Amino acid sequence: MSKIDNETTKIAVPARGKLQSVKRIGGWHAIGPIVIFLVILVVVAILTPAFIGGGGLAIIASSSAPILLLALGQAMVLNVGSIDLSNAAIGLLGAILLALTLGPVAGLSPLIVLLATTAFGAVNGLILAYAQVPSFALTLGTLGIFQAVALVASGRTTVYVSSNGEGVHALYESGIANVPMTFWMGVLLAVALWVLLRYTRIGRGMTAIGKNESAAIFSAVRTRSLKVLAFALSGFAAGLAGIAIIAQAGSASPTGLGSDLLLPAIAAALIGGTSISGGVVNPLTVIFGALTVALVPIATTAVGIEAQAQSLVYGAVIIGVVALTMSRNKTSIVK
Amino acid sequence: MVDKVLSEQGAGSISTTAIRIRESGIERRARFRGLAEPLSLLVALAVLIGVFSLFNERFLTASNFQNVLTQSAIPLIVAVGATLVILLGSIDLSVEGVMGATGMTWILLSANSRGGGDLGPWAWVIALGVALVLGVASGLIFTALKVPSFIVTLGMWYVGLGIATMLYGTDLLPRLEDEGLKGWTSRISFGLPNSFWVALLVIGLGMFVLRSTRIGRVTLAIGNSETIVRSAGLPAFRVKVAVFAIAALLSGLGGILATVQLDIGSPTVGSGVLFIVIPAVVIGGTHLGGGKGGILRTVLGVFLLTILNNGLILSGVESSYQSAVTGAILVAAIVFAAWSQRDRLQVAK
Repeated sequence: MSKIDNETTKIAVPARGKLQSVKRIGGWHAIGPIVIFLVILVVVAILTPAFIGGGGLAIIASSSAPILLLALGQAMVLNVGSIDLSNAAIGLLGAILLALTLGPVAGLSPLIVLLATTAFGAVNGLILAYAQVPSFALTLGTLGIFQAVALVASGRTTVYVSSNGEGVHALYESGIANVPMTFWMGVLLAVALWVLLRYTRIGRGMTAIGKNESAAIFSAVRTRSLKVLAFALSGFAAGLAGIAIIAQAGSASPTGLGSDLLLPAIAAALIGGTSISGGVVNPLTVIFGALTVALVPIATTAVGIEAQAQSLVYGAVIIGVVALTMSRNKTSIVK
Repeated sequence: MVDKVLSEQGAGSISTTAIRIRESGIERRARFRGLAEPLSLLVALAVLIGVFSLFNERFLTASNFQNVLTQSAIPLIVAVGATLVILLGSIDLSVEGVMGATGMTWILLSANSRGGGDLGPWAWVIALGVALVLGVASGLIFTALKVPSFIVTLGMWYVGLGIATMLYGTDLLPRLEDEGLKGWTSRISFGLPNSFWVALLVIGLGMFVLRSTRIGRVTLAIGNSETIVRSAGLPAFRVKVAVFAIAALLSGLGGILATVQLDIGSPTVGSGVLFIVIPAVVIGGTHLGGGKGGILRTVLGVFLLTILNNGLILSGVESSYQSAVTGAILVAAIVFAAWSQRDRLQVAK
């Protein structure tokens, strides 16, 4: 008996060893996003050396800030196996609310906006957790509602910050290493979320829900509250994105900057190695996902592809990158 | 001895009778449930029509009726494809991109103000061919590379828009010049708008495919359990690709009709259709997880949303509120549908 066992283990060892060595460096889906960003960046640097020298990286970082913030919130929701289609609309509504309230209540305004957007996210989560409805349909519905609220609140026009805008605007004007604070805000949030997911009971519970919700329920994980928390975090991140939009533009409108961030943010979360079926996320690589999303339009121009083809390349890159970085096996069922 | 056997047989027959009664009870309940959901939709429709006709007498006129049918035709055509994809348990986000690419290909190959060749019917064939290629590409990437359909079709949305934008180029707007086609979609024949006749045909074909063909039955089976479908040796791979191809073809057809209706070629001709189609499918009662639902339910969902939008405009509600009303109805419909099946151990994603 033991002889056979020995032989089987001998045969099994090399394969297992190989697998483990890949896992030890974090797995392809963990380093993939960084590698892909660097590859695209190197291509751009070779073709247009002036871009990197002329502060191009800072431009990418600053333009990726709202996408990064939204993508981090989205990644938290994707991690529990749901999706939040409404977070970009919440972010835009947050920006409009900020522009409206910054004049009257000044310093309190960002706080009010963050509270409001967190509450919006939490409402999504509460309906999801207690009515047990699919998040895709639910947040598609609330997306419509938030869009309408944004239209009505702004009166369908651009809302300019009337006064007290300097403090928020400084977030975009000042920065570390030429990169605006709005981007560093995203990095800070990413680190905080990474710590939450890796070292706290709450974070581990969220990942457990994403991996196997039934098992999580049977293991006494507080699935409902954690789902509400994930959606609330998404709302909070969307609020920060709203602040970043105002910092950058000084105004907000239902059709202006930030109105089409939903899909880029989802793409950033996915390119950043987040699994769409839940249970796999790393906020730190989402940073590179957001940077890649911001880099693709610049890269297409640098490679010499005409501007009209940009969205085609963008779509192909999303599919290609996810196909490359996704972890899959032969028997799994993909929906 | 004989008595004993008889009595055992008797006991046996009693237990089978009990099982049969139980089975027929389950069947009856299932049949009731199958009827109750569409019925509640029909009631909702009737209430809506009643309320709106009180607010504006123009609502309940024949011309407005034809108006509603014209408005609902394109979402109906696209929604038939979307229903099939959702029955698989997948999702097709690419409709607006496919509509743009197909519509643009079609108008540039038909008689238009930019000149170029007028290929007549071949324009239809080539344009729908573009849609078919996009759909098969989605299906193949989804099945062979195992990329989730959400991402594949999200990418395909951009790819479609990109193709349309490239075809559009930087020239002037391509305007439709074929007098016979201008306004064809809203023209009335046999009492109904032309585009609605097309929609009826598509609905009929869709129902036939779903109910009576192998593709349709396997689609439902995949939505219920792909593992079982595969172990039963059914062609899951081919059916999935076929369903994505059908969905893209129907989106393409919708794109061409939308271009005819708009009179000009635009890459964003499908803009907003996705936000009608997916809520309509879900409100109709097709499960996003797949396996349960049908095309007729989706038809009711599309009518509900179109009549709602039409009625709100006629009642003088500002158009800003429209997306909120659609959204609120969607949320209400899914909460209503899920309420009775809530369970602490149920997993909702």
